[in-house]
Amino acid sequence: MNCRTVSVAGYGDDSYLCRTSSGVDSEFVRRLIRGPATTKASAWMDPSIPYTACVLGAASLYLLVRPGRPTVKVLAGLVGLTVFVWLATAAAGQLAGRGTWPEPFFLIFSVIAISAAVRMVTHTKPVYSALYFILVVLASAGMFLMLEAEFMAFALIIVYAGAILITYMFVLMLAQQAAEPGSEAEQAEYDRLPREPAAAVVVGFIMLALFTNMIFGPEDSVSQTLEPRYTEAEAATLAWNELDQMSILRDEMVDRYMEGRSPLKAEDNTSIVRVRDDGTAFVTVSPEGGAGATEDIDLPSSAKPVNVQRVGWALIAQFPVSLEVAGIILLMAMFGAVVLARRQIELGEAELHAAAGMSHYSDETDSTESDS
Amino acid sequence: MMSTLAMDAMSSVSLAHYLTTSAILFVIGLIGFLTRRNMIVMFLCTELMFQAAAIAMIAFGRFHLDVSGQVFVIFILTIAAAEAALALGLVVLLYRRRETLSAEAWSELREA
Repeated sequence: MNCRTVSVAGYGDDSYLCRTSSGVDSEFVRRLIRGPATTKASAWMDPSIPYTACVLGAASLYLLVRPGRPTVKVLAGLVGLTVFVWLATAAAGQLAGRGTWPEPFFLIFSVIAISAAVRMVTHTKPVYSALYFILVVLASAGMFLMLEAEFMAFALIIVYAGAILITYMFVLMLAQQAAEPGSEAEQAEYDRLPREPAAAVVVGFIMLALFTNMIFGPEDSVSQTLEPRYTEAEAATLAWNELDQMSILRDEMVDRYMEGRSPLKAEDNTSIVRVRDDGTAFVTVSPEGGAGATEDIDLPSSAKPVNVQRVGWALIAQFPVSLEVAGIILLMAMFGAVVLARRQIELGEAELHAAAGMSHYSDETDSTESDS
Repeated sequence: MMSTLAMDAMSSVSLAHYLTTSAILFVIGLIGFLTRRNMIVMFLCTELMFQAAAIAMIAFGRFHLDVSGQVFVIFILTIAAAEAALALGLVVLLYRRRETLSAEAWSELREA
Protein backbone atom coordinates (compact mmCIF):
# COMPACT_ATOMS: atom_id res chain seq x y z
CA MET A 1 0.00 0.00 0.00
CA ASN A 2 1.40 3.30 -1.03
CA CYS A 3 0.80 5.68 1.83
CA ARG A 4 1.96 8.93 0.29
CA THR A 5 2.51 11.72 2.72
CA VAL A 6 0.06 14.53 2.44
CA SER A 7 2.06 17.62 1.72
CA VAL A 8 -0.04 20.30 3.29
CA ALA A 9 1.52 22.60 5.78
CA GLY A 10 -0.01 22.16 9.17
CA TYR A 11 -0.85 18.49 8.90
CA GLY A 12 1.33 16.95 11.50
CA ASP A 13 -0.45 13.68 11.80
CA ASP A 14 -1.20 11.83 8.60
CA SER A 15 -3.45 9.42 10.40
CA TYR A 16 -6.15 12.08 10.37
CA LEU A 17 -6.87 11.04 6.84
CA CYS A 18 -7.31 7.41 7.81
CA ARG A 19 -10.25 8.04 10.08
CA THR A 20 -13.71 6.97 9.13
CA SER A 21 -16.55 9.40 8.84
CA SER A 22 -17.91 8.51 12.22
CA GLY A 23 -14.60 9.36 13.77
CA VAL A 24 -13.55 12.37 11.76
CA ASP A 25 -11.52 14.67 13.85
CA SER A 26 -13.13 18.07 14.19
CA GLU A 27 -9.76 19.72 13.69
CA PHE A 28 -9.43 17.92 10.39
CA VAL A 29 -12.83 19.13 9.28
CA ARG A 30 -12.03 22.65 10.35
CA ARG A 31 -8.83 22.59 8.33
CA LEU A 32 -10.66 21.29 5.31
CA ILE A 33 -13.21 24.04 5.58
CA ARG A 34 -10.89 26.91 6.31
CA GLY A 35 -7.65 25.63 4.94
CA PRO A 36 -4.36 25.69 6.76
CA ALA A 37 -3.73 28.99 8.42
CA THR A 38 -0.72 29.68 6.24
CA THR A 39 -2.64 29.57 2.98
CA LYS A 40 -2.25 32.85 1.19
CA ALA A 41 -1.83 33.72 -2.41
CA SER A 42 1.78 34.49 -3.06
CA ALA A 43 1.53 37.38 -5.47
CA TRP A 44 -1.17 40.00 -5.65
CA MET A 45 -2.34 41.51 -8.79
CA ASP A 46 -1.33 45.04 -9.46
CA PRO A 47 -4.57 46.97 -8.80
CA SER A 48 -4.00 49.20 -11.82
CA ILE A 49 -4.65 46.25 -14.15
CA PRO A 50 -8.30 45.62 -13.22
CA TYR A 51 -9.05 49.33 -12.89
CA THR A 52 -7.65 50.10 -16.34
CA ALA A 53 -9.62 47.18 -17.69
CA CYS A 54 -12.76 48.57 -16.09
CA VAL A 55 -12.28 52.00 -17.66
CA LEU A 56 -11.58 50.56 -21.12
CA GLY A 57 -14.47 48.13 -20.82
CA ALA A 58 -16.82 50.93 -19.76
CA ALA A 59 -15.80 53.03 -22.77
CA SER A 60 -16.30 50.19 -25.21
CA LEU A 61 -19.61 49.12 -23.69
CA TYR A 62 -20.84 52.73 -23.81
CA LEU A 63 -20.03 52.89 -27.51
CA LEU A 64 -21.86 49.61 -27.99
CA VAL A 65 -24.97 50.58 -26.07
CA ARG A 66 -25.69 53.93 -27.64
CA PRO A 67 -26.87 54.09 -31.22
CA GLY A 68 -24.04 54.67 -33.60
CA ARG A 69 -22.32 53.52 -36.73
CA PRO A 70 -21.64 49.78 -37.09
CA THR A 71 -17.90 50.20 -37.71
CA VAL A 72 -17.52 52.07 -34.43
CA LYS A 73 -19.42 49.30 -32.68
CA VAL A 74 -17.28 46.54 -34.16
CA LEU A 75 -14.14 48.38 -33.10
CA ALA A 76 -15.50 48.96 -29.60
CA GLY A 77 -16.44 45.30 -29.30
CA LEU A 78 -12.96 44.22 -30.33
CA VAL A 79 -11.41 46.58 -27.79
CA GLY A 80 -13.68 45.22 -25.06
CA LEU A 81 -12.83 41.60 -25.88
CA THR A 82 -9.12 42.35 -25.94
CA VAL A 83 -9.41 44.01 -22.57
CA PHE A 84 -11.12 40.95 -21.10
CA VAL A 85 -8.54 38.55 -22.49
CA TRP A 86 -5.81 40.83 -21.16
CA LEU A 87 -7.40 40.81 -17.73
CA ALA A 88 -7.79 37.04 -17.74
CA THR A 89 -4.22 36.54 -18.90
CA ALA A 90 -2.81 38.91 -16.34
CA ALA A 91 -4.80 37.19 -13.62
CA ALA A 92 -3.56 33.81 -14.74
CA GLY A 93 0.03 34.94 -14.88
CA GLN A 94 0.06 36.65 -11.54
CA LEU A 95 -2.18 34.51 -9.42
CA ALA A 96 -1.46 31.03 -10.63
CA GLY A 97 2.11 31.63 -11.62
CA ARG A 98 2.11 28.54 -13.81
CA GLY A 99 1.85 30.11 -17.21
CA THR A 100 0.42 33.16 -18.79
CA TRP A 101 -2.65 31.70 -20.44
CA PRO A 102 -5.68 30.30 -18.72
CA GLU A 103 -7.02 27.02 -19.94
CA PRO A 104 -8.28 27.42 -23.52
CA PHE A 105 -11.69 25.96 -22.73
CA PHE A 106 -12.25 28.52 -20.03
CA LEU A 107 -11.15 31.32 -22.31
CA ILE A 108 -13.45 30.12 -25.09
CA PHE A 109 -16.48 29.73 -22.87
CA SER A 110 -16.05 33.01 -21.06
CA VAL A 111 -15.39 34.96 -24.25
CA ILE A 112 -18.53 33.44 -25.78
CA ALA A 113 -20.56 34.16 -22.65
CA ILE A 114 -19.41 37.76 -22.30
CA SER A 115 -19.66 38.71 -25.94
CA ALA A 116 -23.08 37.09 -26.23
CA ALA A 117 -24.18 38.96 -23.10
CA VAL A 118 -22.99 42.25 -24.60
CA ARG A 119 -24.77 41.46 -27.83
CA MET A 120 -27.91 40.55 -25.91
CA VAL A 121 -27.91 43.86 -24.06
CA THR A 122 -27.17 45.93 -27.15
CA HIS A 123 -29.25 44.23 -29.82
CA THR A 124 -32.25 46.27 -30.88
CA LYS A 125 -34.42 43.27 -31.73
CA PRO A 126 -35.73 41.61 -28.56
CA VAL A 127 -36.00 38.17 -30.20
CA TYR A 128 -32.31 38.28 -30.99
CA SER A 129 -31.63 39.33 -27.41
CA ALA A 130 -33.36 36.19 -26.21
CA LEU A 131 -31.41 34.05 -28.69
CA TYR A 132 -28.13 35.56 -27.51
CA PHE A 133 -29.13 34.83 -23.95
CA ILE A 134 -29.49 31.18 -24.92
CA LEU A 135 -25.88 31.40 -26.10
CA VAL A 136 -24.90 32.81 -22.70
CA VAL A 137 -26.68 29.91 -21.04
CA LEU A 138 -24.92 27.36 -23.21
CA ALA A 139 -21.52 28.91 -22.57
CA SER A 140 -22.06 28.96 -18.83
CA ALA A 141 -23.22 25.35 -19.00
CA GLY A 142 -19.81 24.65 -20.51
CA MET A 143 -18.20 26.42 -17.58
CA PHE A 144 -20.31 24.32 -15.20
CA LEU A 145 -18.93 21.22 -16.91
CA MET A 146 -15.42 22.52 -16.32
CA LEU A 147 -16.33 23.03 -12.68
CA GLU A 148 -17.47 19.40 -12.47
CA ALA A 149 -21.10 20.34 -11.96
CA GLU A 150 -22.45 18.04 -14.64
CA PHE A 151 -25.98 17.83 -13.32
CA MET A 152 -26.35 21.58 -13.08
CA ALA A 153 -24.95 22.03 -16.59
CA PHE A 154 -27.63 19.85 -18.13
CA ALA A 155 -30.36 21.11 -15.84
CA LEU A 156 -29.41 24.62 -16.90
CA ILE A 157 -29.71 23.79 -20.57
CA ILE A 158 -33.01 21.96 -20.11
CA VAL A 159 -34.65 24.43 -17.75
CA TYR A 160 -33.20 27.72 -18.93
CA ALA A 161 -32.62 27.28 -22.63
CA GLY A 162 -35.39 24.76 -23.06
CA ALA A 163 -38.20 26.11 -20.93
CA ILE A 164 -37.71 29.64 -19.61
CA LEU A 165 -36.23 31.14 -22.75
CA ILE A 166 -38.85 29.51 -24.94
CA THR A 167 -41.49 31.15 -22.75
CA TYR A 168 -39.76 34.47 -23.30
CA MET A 169 -39.70 33.88 -27.05
CA PHE A 170 -43.41 33.11 -27.08
CA VAL A 171 -44.28 36.24 -25.15
CA LEU A 172 -42.00 38.33 -27.33
CA MET A 173 -43.69 37.06 -30.42
CA LEU A 174 -47.13 37.56 -28.89
CA ALA A 175 -46.41 41.09 -27.80
CA GLN A 176 -44.24 42.25 -30.66
CA GLN A 177 -45.62 45.10 -32.63
CA ALA A 178 -45.72 44.34 -36.31
CA ALA A 179 -43.33 46.51 -38.26
CA GLU A 180 -45.10 48.92 -40.52
CA PRO A 181 -44.33 47.93 -44.09
CA GLY A 182 -42.29 50.57 -45.83
CA SER A 183 -41.40 52.51 -42.72
CA GLU A 184 -37.79 53.43 -42.16
CA ALA A 185 -37.46 52.21 -38.61
CA GLU A 186 -38.17 48.54 -38.33
CA GLN A 187 -38.08 48.49 -34.57
CA ALA A 188 -40.13 50.42 -32.12
CA GLU A 189 -38.55 53.56 -30.75
CA TYR A 190 -38.20 52.08 -27.27
CA ASP A 191 -36.06 49.30 -28.68
CA ARG A 192 -33.77 51.53 -30.69
CA LEU A 193 -32.91 54.21 -28.17
CA PRO A 194 -31.32 53.32 -24.86
CA ARG A 195 -32.24 55.06 -21.64
CA GLU A 196 -29.39 56.99 -20.00
CA PRO A 197 -26.55 54.86 -21.41
CA ALA A 198 -23.73 56.95 -19.95
CA ALA A 199 -25.06 56.95 -16.40
CA ALA A 200 -25.85 53.24 -16.51
CA VAL A 201 -22.41 52.32 -17.83
CA VAL A 202 -20.68 54.46 -15.23
CA VAL A 203 -22.73 52.93 -12.41
CA GLY A 204 -22.20 49.42 -13.71
CA PHE A 205 -18.47 49.69 -14.09
CA ILE A 206 -17.99 51.36 -10.73
CA MET A 207 -19.69 48.26 -9.39
CA LEU A 208 -17.37 46.08 -11.47
CA ALA A 209 -14.36 47.95 -10.10
CA LEU A 210 -15.65 47.16 -6.62
CA PHE A 211 -16.02 43.50 -7.54
CA THR A 212 -12.53 43.27 -8.98
CA ASN A 213 -11.20 45.01 -5.91
CA MET A 214 -12.82 42.29 -3.85
CA ILE A 215 -11.50 39.53 -6.08
CA PHE A 216 -7.97 40.77 -6.62
CA GLY A 217 -7.55 43.01 -3.62
CA PRO A 218 -4.76 42.57 -1.13
CA GLU A 219 -6.02 41.25 2.16
CA ASP A 220 -9.12 39.99 3.89
CA SER A 221 -10.69 39.50 0.53
CA VAL A 222 -12.03 36.70 -1.58
CA SER A 223 -8.61 36.15 -3.04
CA GLN A 224 -7.46 34.34 0.06
CA THR A 225 -9.40 31.40 -1.24
CA LEU A 226 -7.85 31.51 -4.68
CA GLU A 227 -5.20 28.88 -4.28
CA PRO A 228 -6.37 25.31 -4.50
CA ARG A 229 -6.07 24.06 -1.00
CA TYR A 230 -6.93 20.41 -1.34
CA THR A 231 -4.62 17.69 -2.39
CA GLU A 232 -6.14 14.86 -4.34
CA ALA A 233 -5.97 12.64 -1.28
CA GLU A 234 -7.96 15.12 0.77
CA ALA A 235 -10.56 15.52 -1.94
CA ALA A 236 -10.85 11.74 -2.17
CA THR A 237 -11.24 11.54 1.59
CA LEU A 238 -14.13 13.96 1.45
CA ALA A 239 -15.77 11.98 -1.35
CA TRP A 240 -15.37 8.69 0.52
CA ASN A 241 -16.82 10.22 3.65
CA GLU A 242 -19.81 11.33 1.66
CA LEU A 243 -20.22 7.83 0.29
CA ASP A 244 -20.07 6.52 3.81
CA GLN A 245 -22.98 8.72 4.80
CA MET A 246 -25.16 7.57 1.91
CA SER A 247 -25.87 4.21 3.48
CA ILE A 248 -27.89 2.60 0.71
CA LEU A 249 -25.53 3.62 -2.05
CA ARG A 250 -22.59 2.56 0.09
CA ASP A 251 -23.99 -0.92 0.67
CA GLU A 252 -24.78 -1.28 -3.03
CA MET A 253 -21.26 -0.31 -3.98
CA VAL A 254 -19.74 -2.63 -1.43
CA ASP A 255 -21.90 -5.51 -2.61
CA ARG A 256 -21.04 -4.84 -6.22
CA TYR A 257 -17.30 -4.83 -5.74
CA MET A 258 -17.47 -7.81 -3.46
CA GLU A 259 -18.63 -10.09 -6.24
CA GLY A 260 -16.02 -12.31 -7.83
CA ARG A 261 -13.37 -11.06 -5.51
CA SER A 262 -14.13 -12.63 -2.25
CA PRO A 263 -16.53 -15.25 -1.02
CA LEU A 264 -17.22 -13.06 1.95
CA LYS A 265 -20.36 -11.02 2.21
CA ALA A 266 -20.17 -7.61 3.77
CA GLU A 267 -22.24 -7.38 6.87
CA ASP A 268 -24.27 -4.25 7.09
CA ASN A 269 -22.62 -3.00 10.18
CA THR A 270 -19.11 -3.60 9.00
CA SER A 271 -19.40 -2.13 5.55
CA ILE A 272 -18.03 1.17 6.63
CA VAL A 273 -15.76 2.77 4.11
CA ARG A 274 -12.39 3.57 5.52
CA VAL A 275 -9.89 5.82 3.84
CA ARG A 276 -6.15 5.54 3.66
CA ASP A 277 -4.09 8.67 3.54
CA ASP A 278 -3.36 8.29 -0.17
CA GLY A 279 -7.04 8.66 -0.92
CA THR A 280 -7.89 5.04 -1.58
CA ALA A 281 -10.61 3.39 0.42
CA PHE A 282 -11.33 -0.08 1.67
CA VAL A 283 -13.98 -1.97 3.57
CA THR A 284 -13.35 -4.65 6.11
CA VAL A 285 -15.45 -7.74 5.65
CA SER A 286 -15.82 -10.73 7.86
CA PRO A 287 -17.04 -14.18 6.90
CA GLU A 288 -20.68 -15.01 7.37
CA GLY A 289 -21.44 -16.13 10.84
CA GLY A 290 -18.60 -14.10 12.25
CA ALA A 291 -16.02 -16.90 12.23
CA GLY A 292 -12.70 -16.51 10.52
CA ALA A 293 -10.35 -13.69 9.78
CA THR A 294 -11.55 -10.37 8.46
CA GLU A 295 -10.36 -9.11 5.13
CA ASP A 296 -9.81 -5.67 3.67
CA ILE A 297 -11.17 -5.08 0.21
CA ASP A 298 -10.20 -2.07 -1.83
CA LEU A 299 -12.86 0.06 -3.43
CA PRO A 300 -12.07 1.40 -6.89
CA SER A 301 -12.26 5.14 -7.27
CA SER A 302 -15.27 4.69 -9.55
CA ALA A 303 -17.23 3.76 -6.45
CA LYS A 304 -17.16 7.37 -5.29
CA PRO A 305 -20.49 9.17 -5.46
CA VAL A 306 -20.88 11.08 -8.69
CA ASN A 307 -22.10 14.63 -9.01
CA VAL A 308 -25.80 13.79 -9.34
CA GLN A 309 -25.69 11.58 -6.26
CA ARG A 310 -23.91 14.24 -4.25
CA VAL A 311 -26.33 16.99 -5.28
CA GLY A 312 -29.32 14.78 -4.55
CA TRP A 313 -27.91 13.81 -1.21
CA ALA A 314 -27.27 17.44 -0.28
CA LEU A 315 -30.81 18.37 -1.34
CA ILE A 316 -32.38 15.68 0.79
CA ALA A 317 -30.06 15.64 3.75
CA GLN A 318 -29.07 19.29 4.13
CA PHE A 319 -31.82 21.37 2.53
CA PRO A 320 -35.11 19.47 2.83
CA VAL A 321 -37.11 22.50 3.98
CA SER A 322 -35.73 24.66 1.19
CA LEU A 323 -36.76 21.98 -1.26
CA GLU A 324 -40.32 22.09 0.04
CA VAL A 325 -40.36 25.87 -0.07
CA ALA A 326 -39.12 25.80 -3.65
CA GLY A 327 -41.94 23.45 -4.53
CA ILE A 328 -44.47 25.76 -2.90
CA ILE A 329 -43.03 28.74 -4.77
CA LEU A 330 -43.42 26.90 -8.06
CA LEU A 331 -46.99 25.95 -7.18
CA MET A 332 -47.83 29.53 -6.25
CA ALA A 333 -46.26 30.80 -9.46
CA MET A 334 -48.40 28.34 -11.39
CA PHE A 335 -51.55 29.55 -9.60
CA GLY A 336 -50.53 33.14 -10.21
CA ALA A 337 -49.94 32.57 -13.90
CA VAL A 338 -53.31 30.84 -14.24
CA VAL A 339 -55.11 33.64 -12.40
CA LEU A 340 -53.37 36.31 -14.47
CA ALA A 341 -54.11 34.55 -17.69
CA ARG A 342 -57.78 33.91 -17.05
CA ARG A 343 -58.77 37.41 -16.09
CA GLN A 344 -58.07 38.93 -19.44
CA ILE A 345 -60.74 37.01 -21.38
CA GLU A 346 -64.05 38.73 -21.00
CA LEU A 347 -66.23 37.52 -23.79
CA GLY A 348 -69.91 38.07 -24.07
CA GLU A 349 -72.45 35.30 -23.88
CA ALA A 350 -72.81 35.01 -27.63
CA GLU A 351 -69.06 34.81 -28.25
CA LEU A 352 -68.71 32.12 -25.60
CA HIS A 353 -71.33 30.04 -27.32
CA ALA A 354 -69.77 30.59 -30.69
CA ALA A 355 -66.35 29.67 -29.38
CA ALA A 356 -67.73 26.49 -27.88
CA GLY A 357 -69.41 25.63 -31.15
CA MET A 358 -72.83 25.62 -29.52
CA SER A 359 -74.46 28.58 -31.15
CA HIS A 360 -77.17 26.43 -32.69
CA TYR A 361 -78.36 25.15 -29.32
CA SER A 362 -81.41 26.53 -27.58
CA ASP A 363 -81.06 29.21 -24.93
CA GLU A 364 -81.90 26.95 -21.98
CA THR A 365 -79.09 24.48 -22.59
CA ASP A 366 -76.71 27.31 -23.40
CA SER A 367 -77.27 29.04 -20.11
CA THR A 368 -76.52 25.89 -18.10
CA GLU A 369 -73.38 25.28 -20.14
CA SER A 370 -72.06 28.79 -19.74
CA ASP A 371 -72.77 28.92 -16.03
CA SER A 372 -70.58 25.99 -15.27
CA MET B 1 -13.55 11.01 -15.49
CA MET B 2 -10.65 13.22 -14.61
CA SER B 3 -9.43 13.09 -11.10
CA THR B 4 -10.98 15.62 -8.85
CA LEU B 5 -8.22 18.15 -8.70
CA ALA B 6 -6.60 17.60 -12.05
CA MET B 7 -7.92 20.93 -13.22
CA ASP B 8 -5.93 22.77 -10.63
CA ALA B 9 -2.80 20.83 -11.27
CA MET B 10 -2.77 21.03 -15.04
CA SER B 11 -4.07 24.41 -15.91
CA SER B 12 -4.06 27.85 -14.51
CA VAL B 13 -7.75 28.54 -14.10
CA SER B 14 -8.33 29.88 -10.66
CA LEU B 15 -11.39 30.89 -8.76
CA ALA B 16 -10.58 34.48 -9.70
CA HIS B 17 -11.23 33.74 -13.37
CA TYR B 18 -14.70 32.43 -12.71
CA LEU B 19 -15.48 35.24 -10.30
CA THR B 20 -14.30 37.82 -12.82
CA THR B 21 -16.43 36.31 -15.56
CA SER B 22 -19.36 36.20 -13.20
CA ALA B 23 -18.87 39.83 -12.14
CA ILE B 24 -18.63 41.00 -15.75
CA LEU B 25 -21.79 39.12 -16.70
CA PHE B 26 -23.60 40.56 -13.69
CA VAL B 27 -22.56 44.09 -14.56
CA ILE B 28 -23.56 43.66 -18.19
CA GLY B 29 -26.96 42.44 -17.01
CA LEU B 30 -27.24 45.43 -14.68
CA ILE B 31 -26.35 47.87 -17.45
CA GLY B 32 -28.83 46.18 -19.72
CA PHE B 33 -31.53 46.45 -17.10
CA LEU B 34 -30.82 50.15 -16.71
CA THR B 35 -30.55 51.03 -20.38
CA ARG B 36 -33.17 48.93 -22.13
CA ARG B 37 -36.71 50.24 -22.30
CA ASN B 38 -38.43 47.08 -23.46
CA MET B 39 -39.99 45.39 -20.45
CA ILE B 40 -39.31 41.86 -21.68
CA VAL B 41 -35.66 42.61 -22.38
CA MET B 42 -35.38 44.13 -18.91
CA PHE B 43 -36.58 40.84 -17.44
CA LEU B 44 -34.13 39.00 -19.67
CA CYS B 45 -31.35 41.10 -18.16
CA THR B 46 -32.39 40.04 -14.67
CA GLU B 47 -32.08 36.45 -15.88
CA LEU B 48 -28.55 37.30 -16.99
CA MET B 49 -27.79 38.52 -13.47
CA PHE B 50 -29.18 35.25 -12.07
CA GLN B 51 -26.88 33.42 -14.43
CA ALA B 52 -23.86 35.35 -13.19
CA ALA B 53 -24.76 34.54 -9.60
CA ALA B 54 -25.08 30.87 -10.52
CA ILE B 55 -21.60 30.81 -12.04
CA ALA B 56 -20.15 32.41 -8.91
CA MET B 57 -21.91 29.94 -6.63
CA ILE B 58 -20.83 26.88 -8.57
CA ALA B 59 -17.26 28.16 -8.76
CA PHE B 60 -17.16 28.75 -5.00
CA GLY B 61 -18.64 25.32 -4.39
CA ARG B 62 -16.09 23.70 -6.66
CA PHE B 63 -13.18 25.37 -4.96
CA HIS B 64 -14.49 24.46 -1.52
CA LEU B 65 -15.41 20.91 -2.58
CA ASP B 66 -18.95 21.49 -1.45
CA VAL B 67 -22.10 20.78 -3.44
CA SER B 68 -24.17 23.35 -1.55
CA GLY B 69 -23.39 25.85 -4.29
CA GLN B 70 -25.03 23.60 -6.83
CA VAL B 71 -28.04 23.14 -4.57
CA PHE B 72 -28.40 26.91 -4.42
CA VAL B 73 -28.27 27.07 -8.19
CA ILE B 74 -31.19 24.64 -8.26
CA PHE B 75 -33.13 27.13 -6.14
CA ILE B 76 -32.05 29.96 -8.44
CA LEU B 77 -33.46 27.99 -11.35
CA THR B 78 -36.71 27.53 -9.42
CA ILE B 79 -37.02 31.22 -8.66
CA ALA B 80 -36.14 32.14 -12.24
CA ALA B 81 -38.82 29.82 -13.58
CA ALA B 82 -41.45 31.18 -11.17
CA GLU B 83 -40.43 34.74 -11.95
CA ALA B 84 -40.56 34.13 -15.69
CA ALA B 85 -44.05 32.65 -15.45
CA LEU B 86 -45.44 35.51 -13.36
CA ALA B 87 -43.56 38.39 -14.93
CA LEU B 88 -44.34 37.34 -18.46
CA GLY B 89 -48.01 36.93 -17.59
CA LEU B 90 -47.99 40.45 -16.18
CA VAL B 91 -46.17 41.80 -19.22
CA VAL B 92 -48.77 40.31 -21.53
CA LEU B 93 -51.52 41.94 -19.45
CA LEU B 94 -49.74 45.29 -19.54
CA TYR B 95 -49.22 44.97 -23.27
CA ARG B 96 -52.93 44.41 -23.79
CA ARG B 97 -53.71 47.62 -21.92
CA ARG B 98 -51.33 49.99 -23.68
CA GLU B 99 -50.36 48.14 -26.86
CA THR B 100 -46.70 48.82 -26.17
CA LEU B 101 -43.86 47.07 -24.35
CA SER B 102 -42.16 50.30 -23.37
CA ALA B 103 -41.58 50.65 -19.67
CA GLU B 104 -42.14 54.38 -19.96
CA ALA B 105 -45.75 53.82 -20.93
CA TRP B 106 -46.31 53.18 -17.25
CA SER B 107 -44.26 56.07 -15.96
CA GLU B 108 -47.27 57.65 -14.28
CA LEU B 109 -46.85 54.95 -11.63
CA ARG B 110 -43.66 56.57 -10.42
CA GLU B 111 -43.45 59.07 -7.66
CA ALA B 112 -44.59 62.42 -8.92
